[in-house]
Amino acid sequence: MSTGVEREARELTEDELEALIGDRALRRDDHLNAPGFVIRPDDVQDVLFDLRDQAGFDHLSCLTAQQYEDRYESIYHLRKYADPTQEVSVIVPTSVDDPVSQSAEPVYRTADWHEREAFDLVGIDYEGHPDPRRILLPETWQGHPLSKDYDQEQPQVVTLTEHANPIQPDHHDEESDTMFLNIGPHHPATHGVLHVKTVLDGETVVDIDPDIGYLHRCEEQMCQQGTYRHQIMPYPDRWDYVSAGLLNEWAYARTAEDLADIEVPEYAQIIRTMGAELCRIASHFLALGTFALDVYGDFTAVFQYAFRDREVVQDILEDLTGQRLMFNYFRLGGVAWDLPEPREEFFEKTRDFLDGLPAKTNEYHNLLTGNEIFQIRCNDTGVLEPEVAKSYGCTGPVARASGVDYDLRRDDPYGYYENLEWDVITRQGCDNYARVLCRMEEVEESAKIIEQCLDLLEDWPEDDREIQANVPRTLKPDPDTEIYRAVEAAKGELGIYIRSDGTDKPGRFKIRSPCFHNLSALEEISEGEYIPDLIASLGSLDIVLGEVDR
Amino acid sequence: MIEGPFLQTGDTVLLPERLGDLLGLDQFGLAGELLAAFLAAFIIGNLMLAMTGVAGPWAKRKITAAFTDRIAVNRLGPAGLFIIVADAVRLLSKENIIPENADRPAYDLAPIVVASSALLGFAVIPMGSGIHLADPEVGLVFVFAVAGIASLGLVMAGYSSANKYSMLGGLRAVAQNVAYEIPLVVTGMSVVIFTGSLQMSEIVAVQNQPLVDLGVVAIPQWFAIVNPFAFVLFLAANFAEVGRNPFDTPEAPTEIVAGYQTEYSSVYFVLMYLGEFLHIFLGGAIIATIFLGGPAGPGPEAIGIVWFIIKIWGVFLLTQWMRSAVPRVRIDQLIEIGWKGLLVLSFANLILTAVIVGIIQ
Repeated sequence: MSTGVEREARELTEDELEALIGDRALRRDDHLNAPGFVIRPDDVQDVLFDLRDQAGFDHLSCLTAQQYEDRYESIYHLRKYADPTQEVSVIVPTSVDDPVSQSAEPVYRTADWHEREAFDLVGIDYEGHPDPRRILLPETWQGHPLSKDYDQEQPQVVTLTEHANPIQPDHHDEESDTMFLNIGPHHPATHGVLHVKTVLDGETVVDIDPDIGYLHRCEEQMCQQGTYRHQIMPYPDRWDYVSAGLLNEWAYARTAEDLADIEVPEYAQIIRTMGAELCRIASHFLALGTFALDVYGDFTAVFQYAFRDREVVQDILEDLTGQRLMFNYFRLGGVAWDLPEPREEFFEKTRDFLDGLPAKTNEYHNLLTGNEIFQIRCNDTGVLEPEVAKSYGCTGPVARASGVDYDLRRDDPYGYYENLEWDVITRQGCDNYARVLCRMEEVEESAKIIEQCLDLLEDWPEDDREIQANVPRTLKPDPDTEIYRAVEAAKGELGIYIRSDGTDKPGRFKIRSPCFHNLSALEEISEGEYIPDLIASLGSLDIVLGEVDR
Repeated sequence: MIEGPFLQTGDTVLLPERLGDLLGLDQFGLAGELLAAFLAAFIIGNLMLAMTGVAGPWAKRKITAAFTDRIAVNRLGPAGLFIIVADAVRLLSKENIIPENADRPAYDLAPIVVASSALLGFAVIPMGSGIHLADPEVGLVFVFAVAGIASLGLVMAGYSSANKYSMLGGLRAVAQNVAYEIPLVVTGMSVVIFTGSLQMSEIVAVQNQPLVDLGVVAIPQWFAIVNPFAFVLFLAANFAEVGRNPFDTPEAPTEIVAGYQTEYSSVYFVLMYLGEFLHIFLGGAIIATIFLGGPAGPGPEAIGIVWFIIKIWGVFLLTQWMRSAVPRVRIDQLIEIGWKGLLVLSFANLILTAVIVGIIQ
């Protein structure tokens, strides 16, 4: 390990942090997860540069924007890739009349999309932002939906004529040899409703501009209108809706449990861990199948095989949770119910699946990764350098395939992961091929985890199977408590910020979606390559638009 | 009887003549001959269209399903066969949507060009059991020439649709066909060196002489056996020619939606697809004729057509297998493989064959 990494990983004491920020800090405003420093809007870049370069906070995990009665607030949640338990929050208040704050884009590339979202939904202007447009809502939208003075009763209908018609402009002028092409929102390879505005020079991609928001369902707003205890848990299933449900639920469970100080029984943690890893396998199988679909160009053998194998996992999850897609299985303080009876049958079924897995993995390697055509298509395409990945806030298999050794299950432990034997997979390839291999190997690691969970569950004494802690019927965390917590979901770091306002509903609920960050790196990895590589790269990022748009 | 380069009969009896004899049309002179020729063309055309009808809506689904662990159509009729009728009704009754800015005559003509160019090629293919429409001296050249017309149809479809995806698909189709037609023809020529004739009946006849006589069975000198290298080259170039994996870049769903046929719907769509399947079958027919001894096979000569159809379907099966199992190459890689790989190899093959044939003779 280089000395640089050690320096970065060294934990700064709060005094040192205070000294670093110095009198640029107006006051402290600590969050449950991290020390918080309030700074002036025109010190943003200054402070963030210092924190990044001198204190090693190289990961802008999330940016939360919100409006209070008397001010707007942008919170930069910073972490370290080397050690995500070291966190700091930089809080930038701006006045209600003139909410202008300095942009953090020069420090962290990922601030680009985040600040656009903050402008779009909350209404804060970021000075010096390279591209201050709306991101989720149409350009013609009136007002900012999460701001206080927005009239939520007034419906807004964006008609086709009003909405900039993506098909209409040609963008082809006499001088240039380029062609403007809309890929999506209806396109076989966009994995949902993604619209990529592409400029082509022949078949080469010169410039792309992903247009997201077609699947924006106001998830944050809906979570703010639900009570902590039961009404929020169903929503996470709908973010990354392709079989990653339990992983998402855990993000909310972890955040809310830490906020309300709820202890989860060990037995429930093991069930959670097992369920989450089953979800990860299902999700990675889907990623593998759809990536093969993008490269092969048809619903071919690999796609169908991946779906066949995913179906087995889906069956097991159905036995466990009673649902196939929208599990709603986690509860604050545990899980909804114990393993299905007869337990032996459930154990046998799951073990059968795990036993058959090596043969299946082998089959995929024979059919897919061993194929020479597949290799020439995927090697050295969609190259994402580690430093670029960090700057865009990429996490999950996308970052790990670029050699960024970052996995919250190990680095910021939760659940039962600490007590189990497994490895974090990293690959140095940085390309599409590395991302595919990374996911396939993670499936094997998940299988190891499930195996150990099964052993533990089987031997667990019958009178000690506590599946839920005692949680009050109504949860009302202390007012103005703020927390940001993340878990390792299928696509990467899924974080949630909650500010309680003393009621039984969150005052602000912010979702940090891994797909949002990963997708923002698409521009970086696909420009200068051919259209087929753009499609393959998009597939290898494994995005789910439900999570990107929320 | 007209004796010209295009109706050279040789010693084989062609289908129009047989029909003429059978129906007594000889007595009507030229009109009778024309009528017989039309009838023969009608029979052969319908045979091919019927095969396409089975292949498109039914066999393709069943074959792909078998490769990918599925069941596919099984509700209508035995093994789902009646889906052919249902699909025909469905496809023909759909609205034919024509883009506002489409370049009209070209847009309408393209599907017809694509479908008919393939159909024309079958005219010179000897299918056994006496089913052979015409046997010109330049048969092999003729079949390559008419099959090449399809590229024109694809370009027309590509540019006239007023759609950028179609445009990209059309451009890809031309680039691909230009790159792969040359290796295809050059490899085909190596057969001509061997047989010494471009005439289809002659090519078949030469291949059916025994290569090695083992007493009980005589292995015929099918060109695939004599020169397997040329056979493999031709198969590869043929995949590109019919636009199937790993060379299905002109259509490339997931990249450019459906390429040149993106905007086609209803009857035009059917014609486009018909043309594609006919091209696969024509490719199969050419391969069967110049590499696999045409309609030759065990049993009496009368069942030649059965062997011939089995061989065509063998090639069709191979294309479906590739489609299910092999990834698509990128467009630049495709061009590179064509110009730097197949072209060089096909010329090497040509020279090699010429040398060997020269030594033997």
